[in-house]
Amino acid sequence: MIRIEPEPWRQMVEHARATYPNECCGAMIGSVDGDRKVVQVALPLENAFTGAQAARYELRPEDLLKADREARSRNMDLVGIYHSHPDCGAYFSETDLKNSCPWYSFVVLSIQKGEFDHANSWLPNPEQTAAEKEELSY
Amino acid sequence: MAKVLIPTPLRQYAGKQDSVELGGSTVGEVLGALTNQHSELRRHLYNDEGKLRSFVNVYLNDEDIRYMQKDATPVKDSDTISIVPSIAGGSTATLPPQEATLSKDEILRYSRHLIMPEVGMEGQLKLKNAKVLLIGTGGLGAPLGLYLAAAGVGRIGLVDFDVVDFTNLQRQVIHGTSDVGRKKLDSAGDRMHEINPYVQIDKHEIALSSENALEILKDYDIVVDGTDNFPTRYLVNDACVLLGKPNVYGSIFRFEGQATVFAYEGGPCYRCLYPEPPPPGLVPSCAEGGVLGILPGMIGIVQATETVKLILGTGEPLVGRLLLYDALAMRFRELKLRKNPDCPVCGTHPTVTKLIDYQQFCGIPHQETKPVAETTNEWEIDAVGLKQKMDRGDNFVLIDVREPHEYQICRIPGSKLIPLGEIPKRVNELNSADDIVVHCKMGGRSAKAVEFLKQAGFRKVKNMKGGILAWSDKVDPSVPKY
Repeated sequence: MIRIEPEPWRQMVEHARATYPNECCGAMIGSVDGDRKVVQVALPLENAFTGAQAARYELRPEDLLKADREARSRNMDLVGIYHSHPDCGAYFSETDLKNSCPWYSFVVLSIQKGEFDHANSWLPNPEQTAAEKEELSY
Repeated sequence: MAKVLIPTPLRQYAGKQDSVELGGSTVGEVLGALTNQHSELRRHLYNDEGKLRSFVNVYLNDEDIRYMQKDATPVKDSDTISIVPSIAGGSTATLPPQEATLSKDEILRYSRHLIMPEVGMEGQLKLKNAKVLLIGTGGLGAPLGLYLAAAGVGRIGLVDFDVVDFTNLQRQVIHGTSDVGRKKLDSAGDRMHEINPYVQIDKHEIALSSENALEILKDYDIVVDGTDNFPTRYLVNDACVLLGKPNVYGSIFRFEGQATVFAYEGGPCYRCLYPEPPPPGLVPSCAEGGVLGILPGMIGIVQATETVKLILGTGEPLVGRLLLYDALAMRFRELKLRKNPDCPVCGTHPTVTKLIDYQQFCGIPHQETKPVAETTNEWEIDAVGLKQKMDRGDNFVLIDVREPHEYQICRIPGSKLIPLGEIPKRVNELNSADDIVVHCKMGGRSAKAVEFLKQAGFRKVKNMKGGILAWSDKVDPSVPKY
């Protein structure tokens, strides 16, 4: 299960609303204890997808590298990735799956008409064929 | 020795270390040494063919090895190798994939389903992958929302634009006293998530109409009709037939209920049973006719049962069968329903191929926006005006056309009770020379009474707008509202 603290959650929602109607993406940093994760810091990152960003996002590995270094410097861990779905449910789509990594939690924020609607957290499998919903609290 | 940084989730396979120092002259050699030392890491980084998994990138210091010499990239002692995933995604139009598994939590939660061979893992997964749309979160929607969330239906859409009212609490058990004034969608959604956080709840805060119905219904597998008015029932029916979705129907009236499954596997649709809507005003709403609070609970559960059966594909659904429930007698009856080959929507030669104007179909005149400065016409008086007449000592007769049991709840002093249905035979008790004011609960019945009296030749008759509810609001708040 994953719990997001109020400050990083606020930043994630703001980031998602600010980039609406495009998708936003970022890293979540915090601590991990077995399968319990706590997100203490949100790192908004740039959506590097080179086409229309209303329905696609891409993270630069270098940005992730920096996020990982940032985490280490604060003695924390990279817990997961967040991104938004504008005017769409917070499900884990085919595209999300095929480009996922099973090491992280994927928090998807659904932004409907510019306002936060709901969010889910997903744990994709290593074969990138399915994702399990993770208990999310914020 | 180069340093390899281990991402958090993989540390458990690398002896819990966040970095490992290893020898090797190329990246390939260093990674080889890493997976030799910590063999469990191999399957997380490499696939069965021995290639790096597609989401794994390897960086030598700040550079991606794919742009250098890949595995053959030379490594120096002070170098750092980082394992960084490739991550991308999108909410593209493709449908979300079917969930293949249940988590440990879910297995425990649904254990009482799983231990029955008729449901089992396969059945529970079908529930998890099902998408059900509930139209209305009121009397019928309440038990539906609660039980379908509990059962583990993966995605439940809710359609309602209304706000929780105090009078709802007598039967809409998904809402509580502290929810009065809140949007029904929020109240119901919160309660459903409290029962089962795994359910994805889609909130549609709209009034379903011909413009939006097809768009909203298309993403769901099953539509459950929990509405309270005829135009919407016909709209939902037609939309389900056009989209090919089953319509799990339920309706209640006072002490009786009905349920069936329309538009499924060659069965009839709502129009096969009721080709024409009743004349407007003939069938009262719950506010006008009343309803035993417990009744929608029973019918809503029947609808929930049928929904689960459709998802699991077991049992005999109420297709072609109208279940009739009489609460007072505690009797269940069934009527056989047949698909009408001439049905304008689902027959062999349908004439209705798109959604129409359902208000017009049901004979309900469109609400016209009232002008801001409303002039009262000569046939109307408002509650304050009536009080003024009383205070002035005007000579007039006040007639209450409600039912005797309503008169027991509250009354306006000085009124005479003649229930609406008795006006025609008791009209001789009234004198057309008198000034007459007629009222009821909300103003509807009294308007009808005034119409009748006008036809009978009365010229000095007025309808009190807003009924006794308006009297309570504007003149005497001690009069209870109901």
